[in-house]
Amino acid sequence: MKKQKSTAVVPKRKMSFKVYMKKYWQLYVMLFFPLLYLAIFKYAPMSYIQIAFKKFKINRSIWEMPWADNHGFKYFIDAFSNPDFLEALRNTILLNLLDLVIGFSIPIIFALILNELVFKRFKRVVQTVAYMPHFLSWVIIYGLALQMFAPSNGLVNLFLNKIGMETVHFLDDPILWIFTYIFLGIWQSFGWNSIVYLAAIAGINPELYEAAEVDGAGRWRKIWHVTLPGIKSTIIILLIMNLGNILGSGFDRPFALQNNLVMDVAEVLSTFVYKNGILGLKFSLTTAIGFFQSIVCVFFLLSANWISRKMGERGIW
Amino acid sequence: MKKKILAALLACCMCLSVAACGKKDEEVSSGTKFKDGKFVDTVKITVEVYDRGNDGGSDPTNNMYTDFIKKGMKEKYNVEVEFVAVSRWEEVQQINNLLAGGTAPDICLTYDYPTIQTYAGMDGVLELNQYLEQHKDKLPNLYNWLGDTNIYWDQDPNTGELWAIEGKRADIKRINTFVRQDWLDKLGMKAPTTKAEFEKMLVAFKDNAKLLLGDDADKMIPFSVSYDVGWRAANIIESFIDPAMTDKEFYVNGFDDRMYTQNGTKEAIRLLNKWYNDGLMWDDFALYGSGDSTEDDMIKAGYVGAFMHNWDYPFRNGEDSIQANLKRIVGEDAAFVAIDCFENSDGEYAKRAYSSAGDRKIFFPATNDEPLASLLYLDWISTPENIQYLQIGDEGVTHTKLPGGGVSIIPATGNAIQNSGQNIDLTITCNGLNLMNAEDTAKSAAYNYAGVDPSYVQTSIEVALNDAITVKNVNVGAIAAEEGMGTSLGDKRDIAFDKSVIASPSDFDKVWDDNMKDYLKSGGQKIMDERKEKWEATFGTSDMLP
Repeated sequence: MKKQKSTAVVPKRKMSFKVYMKKYWQLYVMLFFPLLYLAIFKYAPMSYIQIAFKKFKINRSIWEMPWADNHGFKYFIDAFSNPDFLEALRNTILLNLLDLVIGFSIPIIFALILNELVFKRFKRVVQTVAYMPHFLSWVIIYGLALQMFAPSNGLVNLFLNKIGMETVHFLDDPILWIFTYIFLGIWQSFGWNSIVYLAAIAGINPELYEAAEVDGAGRWRKIWHVTLPGIKSTIIILLIMNLGNILGSGFDRPFALQNNLVMDVAEVLSTFVYKNGILGLKFSLTTAIGFFQSIVCVFFLLSANWISRKMGERGIW
Repeated sequence: MKKKILAALLACCMCLSVAACGKKDEEVSSGTKFKDGKFVDTVKITVEVYDRGNDGGSDPTNNMYTDFIKKGMKEKYNVEVEFVAVSRWEEVQQINNLLAGGTAPDICLTYDYPTIQTYAGMDGVLELNQYLEQHKDKLPNLYNWLGDTNIYWDQDPNTGELWAIEGKRADIKRINTFVRQDWLDKLGMKAPTTKAEFEKMLVAFKDNAKLLLGDDADKMIPFSVSYDVGWRAANIIESFIDPAMTDKEFYVNGFDDRMYTQNGTKEAIRLLNKWYNDGLMWDDFALYGSGDSTEDDMIKAGYVGAFMHNWDYPFRNGEDSIQANLKRIVGEDAAFVAIDCFENSDGEYAKRAYSSAGDRKIFFPATNDEPLASLLYLDWISTPENIQYLQIGDEGVTHTKLPGGGVSIIPATGNAIQNSGQNIDLTITCNGLNLMNAEDTAKSAAYNYAGVDPSYVQTSIEVALNDAITVKNVNVGAIAAEEGMGTSLGDKRDIAFDKSVIASPSDFDKVWDDNMKDYLKSGGQKIMDERKEKWEATFGTSDMLP
């Protein structure tokens, strides 16, 4: 589909600029404002990345601030000699990897199951119910989690105590907290994430299923040989995007879910940057960390993309 | 071709946007003339005011009292005042954001001096000494009320730089311990007078939960703290500090205002750890963050036997106070009473009171273009009659006169509701009741809390002042190692306290020591070393303040 469109836009190499513009100028006018938006809100602020290399002065323009020590790299050195930063880095990678390993396949499986449902109405109800948590803010989810899992008066623990079992510290034991964190993340997002797969499944040519049926394929065979290959490229693109995010993590999920007792595993880069940068006023140090984070993300994204192309898939670009 | 056009377009946009962002306003110096004690043209300033988010409070930026200030400043100096609300519970965070965005109010206040120091390091704060010298003659009320002590409290002895003025505490009472009087009565117990008796009382509360709470017995919490253990167990911690500790030791280990690094604190937390493991404390205390009302709600509902907090905490907020709620929900006789039971090794109930300074610090951000108008605001707000009006309002609306002199605060409604006790959020240079007549102040003290039986307030006042120690000012110049460390070390402190309290008794030493090691490594040790060095440079070998 995409390919057809783009060949239509760039027809013959020989067409002169004037003719070309005369024909397609409306498209560029339409493009102008999105580009302006990108330039103003995404590119211009990037000049402030310099803060990572400079001693921050609040009332001076970024160009006038003095350079930091060690050829401007003082804050990078500070960051990597700061044990709290290294801990946050470890936690970020750990939590994101677990999210990826445990959480990535669930929306796919869910989409496959939904696709097999015969009753359309039931399917729709299930789908809508599964989306719902996506629209809850993490603060509310933590509120729910406290009601459910708090050690002394959470519902689950009250129930466990009633049937004579020990209290389980879902929220204040570091190891269990990791599982709670992953579980809540999956619970919140699997329904929403399955939409993409459902759309991809809907795009598979029904004739393929018919042909498979004629060949005598059962349900499992059809899923394995038709559905999965049909959505393979979608899966790979989402995997690439997720890998690009291995060092980035949302802010509100860890921030809302963490508490003082599990900080050893719950402090991630985004919350570390918030606490030290915005609250602790170490703007230079945290900009350096953010910069490092972005570079690693770009690296992961590029290499994942490269690998997928090597393996014969399409990749993002 | 397409790429080129794209590139050109992008470049254009970049230029445009960079040009738009790059132009910075020139600093506008106040061009208006000041004549006969008044500005010729109207000058506008903005002032920070805390928003406490009280249930049913009035708009903190627009109520009867702010109108009084706006009118007074306009009439006297031709200065227009606008208030900017900042959440009391996230004040440092919000002020940080406002400062970083260049939109901070002209007059800011915070309890946290290292924050101001950090901003000064970023050229973000006006140096006040120059303006004070220039305008001293126009500020008689400010000098009269604060005195040189508070005004120059934070002045660097070496450079003479002054980044903030200390507001004054008219009231030095700090933290008290409260227990349920009606529970003591029901169990036929006397108020505890020692640590051991206090513990015995907690055990009695726990053992008699059925009697005290009936069907809600499983909700019983004998002793409650929040995640901020250092504050909410302050009386216990203070009682473990050696009374003979030298000023030097107290100062060198004293960066943390919850006494985390003082010698003795560990043993206090060990006691809490024992209580926690004996089931005498709230299990989930560490799961709820700052400003969460879960614990308050439990106290109000009557499930909590004892807690520590600001000396007037149960009486605050009129109809929504803990005391008023208990009366409504539990019964007429339900009430918290202040007790004194944490004795130190001398057998005294030593409590660290506030010093008259060391309270709220007032500073002007570098974006303040009207330092004179701002100083005049401080002068106006320090005038005795203005303090009095803001604290007690109109007769019949906010207070009634007591027969023997003094006033009694009554529940106000609508616009006349005070969002903070005695409007301390508006009288920024004065914290605590201070009427024009000192005798009236003393007589009114117990009648200051709308809807609360004054005898409870009187007890709390007496307890808070019993054996109280005032903190002395140590000024050896700025400690560079403290800059920007307040938040991260404060967080570490809270984590260390929380983890140590819930550790199993056999792990306690390890948990405490590991966290302390981490704290010291993360900057705590550097601060102590610099404090020690600067103390020795200023006071030589002397261990005590002159």
